[in-house]
Amino acid sequence: MAEQKPLPGRVHHTRRPAPRPPRSPNDIYVTTKTDFRAQLARCRQLLSTGDFRELRVHGLGLAIGRAINLALQLQLSYPGTLHISPNTSTVELTDDLEPEGGEDMEPGARNRNNSAIHIRVYRPQGE
Amino acid sequence: MENFRRVQTVDEDDGQPLPFKNLHPDVVKMRVKEGSKIRNLIGYAATHMLSEGTGQIVFSAYGRGVTKAVTCVEILKRKIDGLHQVTKLQYKTLQEVWEQKGPNVQHPAPCLTVQKKYPSINILLSKEPLDPQEEGYQPPQSMVPTETAKRFSESDIEHCTSKKRKNKSKTEESEG
Repeated sequence: MAEQKPLPGRVHHTRRPAPRPPRSPNDIYVTTKTDFRAQLARCRQLLSTGDFRELRVHGLGLAIGRAINLALQLQLSYPGTLHISPNTSTVELTDDLEPEGGEDMEPGARNRNNSAIHIRVYRPQGE
Repeated sequence: MENFRRVQTVDEDDGQPLPFKNLHPDVVKMRVKEGSKIRNLIGYAATHMLSEGTGQIVFSAYGRGVTKAVTCVEILKRKIDGLHQVTKLQYKTLQEVWEQKGPNVQHPAPCLTVQKKYPSINILLSKEPLDPQEEGYQPPQSMVPTETAKRFSESDIEHCTSKKRKNKSKTEESEG
């Protein structure tokens, strides 16, 4: 890393948005800022129109709990007919470092990992 | 609400079996909470998994601890290759007793009993193969040997943290 200066040399960084693979209408990305009830209603609508047998609910980091809650609430609203199959993974995130001051401009990047959950909510075959 | 304080929480699901089939009788259950330190959890779990024996471990958490439980599992999978995983979600019911407080409280103080449902997660990691048809099953991932995916050895257990992992240090083991 760079020279260890005291506080003034602290590196500010911005976080790049998390990578999202190409999404279809049945991919639901839960974040801490999405409105929970609206998203639940949207999921119910998607399932009740019958266009999709399967939804995929994704949650990253702090939103894992919300994603679990969403999937379980969906299961509660269709009792007995929905199955849940969760998977976990690690997502690599990139931070852009912005050195302050401008003398030693070294715009760098830093990688870190975050946990994610992908929940497949589906109707089993033959129903 | 501000005139009440929580005096007791009872775990209603306590004592119920874990939601997995064909569990080994002496499987270790890690109760991950919000304030648990990842290095403590991983340190214990890794020694258990590396020791001879069952090779099964369950991470369970509810509420705000779920993120940490998932992180622990992801780190452990990266440290130890060839782990099979089954993830289960459910609601965990907690019963909370709230007691009135404040200047004018009759004796005995009136109590409120509340049932709360927290989203919870249970993750089973196993060295032995599990049923691939089960919901939430994940096969072991074939790890691409990168700098961060360092093979885990006994000496690493003490230094194991999620954030302080040495990214720069090259692994000396030559793989494949």
